[in-house]
Amino acid sequence: MQIPVVRNVLEANDKMAADVRRKLADRSILALNLISSPGAGKTSLLERTLRDLGPEFRMAVIEGDLQTDNDARRVAATGAQAVQINTEGGCHLNSNLVLSAMEQLDLDGLDILFIENVGNLVCPVEFDCGEDAKVAILSVAEGDDKPEKYPLLFNLAKAMLLNKVDLLEHVDFDLARARAHATRLNRDLAVFEVSARTGVGMDAWYDWLRQMRAAKLAQGR
Amino acid sequence: MHEMAVAESLLELAQDVAQSQGCARLERVCVEYGALAGVMPEALELCFEALTQGTPHQGARLELICLPLKLRCLFCGTVFGGQGQEERFAPCPGCGEAVAHAVEQGKELRLREVEAQ
Repeated sequence: MQIPVVRNVLEANDKMAADVRRKLADRSILALNLISSPGAGKTSLLERTLRDLGPEFRMAVIEGDLQTDNDARRVAATGAQAVQINTEGGCHLNSNLVLSAMEQLDLDGLDILFIENVGNLVCPVEFDCGEDAKVAILSVAEGDDKPEKYPLLFNLAKAMLLNKVDLLEHVDFDLARARAHATRLNRDLAVFEVSARTGVGMDAWYDWLRQMRAAKLAQGR
Repeated sequence: MHEMAVAESLLELAQDVAQSQGCARLERVCVEYGALAGVMPEALELCFEALTQGTPHQGARLELICLPLKLRCLFCGTVFGGQGQEERFAPCPGCGEAVAHAVEQGKELRLREVEAQ
């Protein structure tokens, strides 16, 4: 029997992403999906953010890694709630994994949920996890042509953090080139030059988080 | 790289469709994908084969149809086409702008037909 259909292959993921979005909207929780290559500094960035904004916001982290709970333990040490997802070889988080991780979190009173995706610039971009925004993190220890090589992430992200700027004098990274290509792909992209290690530039990122959170609250009213 | 996850969703969806018509065994599954869907046909075929191995669907054919890219220039509105990823950054035939083309067609990943018994 031949059965003609038109069905989106990833519709199961999209449906569960909608579930995640509904749960978060009910509580006005801002959710950010952090995407970068391995070693760009996602966890260090979170550690500092959680410590600095701890008095201001209640925050939680869903950590995605192939193996180990090293990252969840690092962020939990800041006092924030943390859940580790081990993908056992899977190269990205999907909405189903995020939904089950959320069940282990106390969502009441939460202001911001960070989803730290598996370090990878390709697949995580394709799978909606129900977040309000994707945030791209690119460290200056990498190539300044990453926005050209992996355009989809920079095209879809609402913010880009150029991390490890304390290393700039030791590397050949051209900030202007990375910034120019990323913003040509995405004219509304917010760009922050930061060092999660020294704390340089973090205030502008915090202001952006405050604005995003305020916008989320306004949506709920 | 994420073809296994795509193949799993695809197989589940195709099984649902077949079952809804009272069929238990898949014979052919037809999928159309956009040039920017991030799907490598060979990898998807391999994953599909691996997943159906040892199941009632073993030997089911996976047919993949690539949809050409359709882009719209955000500066002048010209709609133009192409086959591959690289067209995304090709200059617009209307105004020459090389970036900021909106994707009108190219990100699709759709199940179009199921043949089953």
